[in-house]
Amino acid sequence: MKLNTDMRVNRVTDEVWEIPMTEKSGMLVPARIYATPGILQTMDRGVFDQVTNVACLPGIARYALCMPDGHWGYGFPIGGVAAFDVKSGIISPGGVGYDVNCGMRLIRTDLTLDDVRSKLERLMAELFRRVPAGVGAAGFVRLNRDSFEGVMTRGARWCIEEGYGWHRDLVRIEEGGCIAGADPSTVSDHAVGRGINQLGTLGSGNHYLEVQVVASDHVFDPDTATALGITGQDQIVVMVHCGSRGFGHQVASDYLKVFEKAMRRYGISVKDQQLACAPFRSPEGQDYFSAMNCAANTAFANRQVITHQIREAFATVFGISAEELGMELVYDVAHNIAKVERYPEGELLVHRKGSTRAFGPRSQDLPRVFQQTGQPVICGGSMETGSYLLVGTDRAVHETFGSTMHGSGRTMSRAQAKKTISGEQLQQAMRRRGILVKAVSMSGLAEEAGFAYKNISEVVETVDRAGITKKVAELRPIGNIKG
Amino acid sequence: MAHSFRFLDDIALADLAFQAEGDSVLELFRAATGALLETLADPSTVAATWARKIEHVCGTPDELLFEWLSDLVYWKDAAGVVFHDADLCVVHEGTTWTLAAVLRGALVDQTTQTLRSDVKGVTKHLYEVTQQGAHWYARVVIDV
Repeated sequence: MKLNTDMRVNRVTDEVWEIPMTEKSGMLVPARIYATPGILQTMDRGVFDQVTNVACLPGIARYALCMPDGHWGYGFPIGGVAAFDVKSGIISPGGVGYDVNCGMRLIRTDLTLDDVRSKLERLMAELFRRVPAGVGAAGFVRLNRDSFEGVMTRGARWCIEEGYGWHRDLVRIEEGGCIAGADPSTVSDHAVGRGINQLGTLGSGNHYLEVQVVASDHVFDPDTATALGITGQDQIVVMVHCGSRGFGHQVASDYLKVFEKAMRRYGISVKDQQLACAPFRSPEGQDYFSAMNCAANTAFANRQVITHQIREAFATVFGISAEELGMELVYDVAHNIAKVERYPEGELLVHRKGSTRAFGPRSQDLPRVFQQTGQPVICGGSMETGSYLLVGTDRAVHETFGSTMHGSGRTMSRAQAKKTISGEQLQQAMRRRGILVKAVSMSGLAEEAGFAYKNISEVVETVDRAGITKKVAELRPIGNIKG
Repeated sequence: MAHSFRFLDDIALADLAFQAEGDSVLELFRAATGALLETLADPSTVAATWARKIEHVCGTPDELLFEWLSDLVYWKDAAGVVFHDADLCVVHEGTTWTLAAVLRGALVDQTTQTLRSDVKGVTKHLYEVTQQGAHWYARVVIDV
């Protein structure tokens, strides 16, 4: 098998591959990649280089992992998972990603495709008007420093208190939409300046708001789907993919600088400057963890305000309230975050970068509503091919620190995608296939063409067969909003 | 004096990268500024109704360029603007490099401006500023 690496890669199973510690000087644990042979062959060289660099970081437990949607990232690969002992290990912004708590949210409705088809044009226009996207877009929520601190510390709870959502939404958000230990004093004025006007905005790049349909022949686990509110009778659902916007990015950039200096003080050397880190228990490590939690809460709040606007848009177009339309949250889950969790090794700081938490049924960390099903996992594909709803498993908890994939993963650069198709051509081609796209930037739209991504179905099959997540339903796009 | 930039295809799969070059440090800064402005929006569609004076002092030109490009990203978010152009002055005295700039642009307007990518940040990945003879080069990867 021809791979984009000179390192030895051993087969563990048809979906799990291991790079032994002998393949790179300084590796403290082996690296493991979840992929079918076909996906493994398409993985770029950066995946192999970076996952083995991560395996060299102090305090790493068991394995450095990469999921099947993995590709090159800054420091850690996208799709990377690494857990560090909280006493002897490190924390690294490169293991969280610049867009702290970039994540996915899924909202169900009682509407069917027949209900929406004739109103789709108007619905997408209303969503496009209410959910700002693209360069420099500001949200409608006006914040001062005090209220922004409320967002940082209380996340989605702050939104509910302000009327942007329903109290019962909280139980369907990872961590109840509010991570403890967020101290605004650890956040720079620069970060506040970038974030204070952006609450309720999508951003651009691969972020989107998508109206989707769930057909009955695309439901793989009817019982679990029903328990999660998915009927599968050409049901309309809405997916949101975005994060903490400029605020989270500034937090990461600020602490990369802090950690570059801290590493010298703590005698830590890394194989890539973007792996800059500090001992988790050090003052610098704790400050970053706190600031990262501020950004994570801001991201939960961002998706909550967007949800409020989505509900308002649907209510306007269909002339009845969002509650009457059955617009309940299915789940909201992060895929760029670091969290302290308990495993057989003890308390570990699990970094997930382009990877989703996937706790199984009966997990003590899940609310009662998910005790039977396991935690919902939302994986976004390209805007042309569709997305998936899955659930976590016990096996994920045992094998991958309760983690799985997050999306389809790019295979083509943005520059190459733009050379292959224009935004206008793509928009027209998608309209002919029944997908209505509204975009702020046509060049940005071209960069997100479906052919620039892996086949998400193959990626999902990998984690399903590996047993670290189980498929529930496939969601097909009919409308998409991009920055 | 001349400067130019070009976007690099295969440096950053999910993001954007460019190489800027110029006959002097000042020209290099003009090239890199042009690349970032073009990434955000077509500058010819952006008016100059907003302006900000910016000054930085650093020990090296690569630090100075990184700070300056990061400033553009900051003001894009903090003021909700995209940019038309920038007047730049770079002075090297002893061990310090000083940038004095006037950044001009306008509030984002989706109806009149050709907007492109919402840059989230300038990264240190493969970041370098090099001098070959009298010519200066920079390679910059930006997170979008």
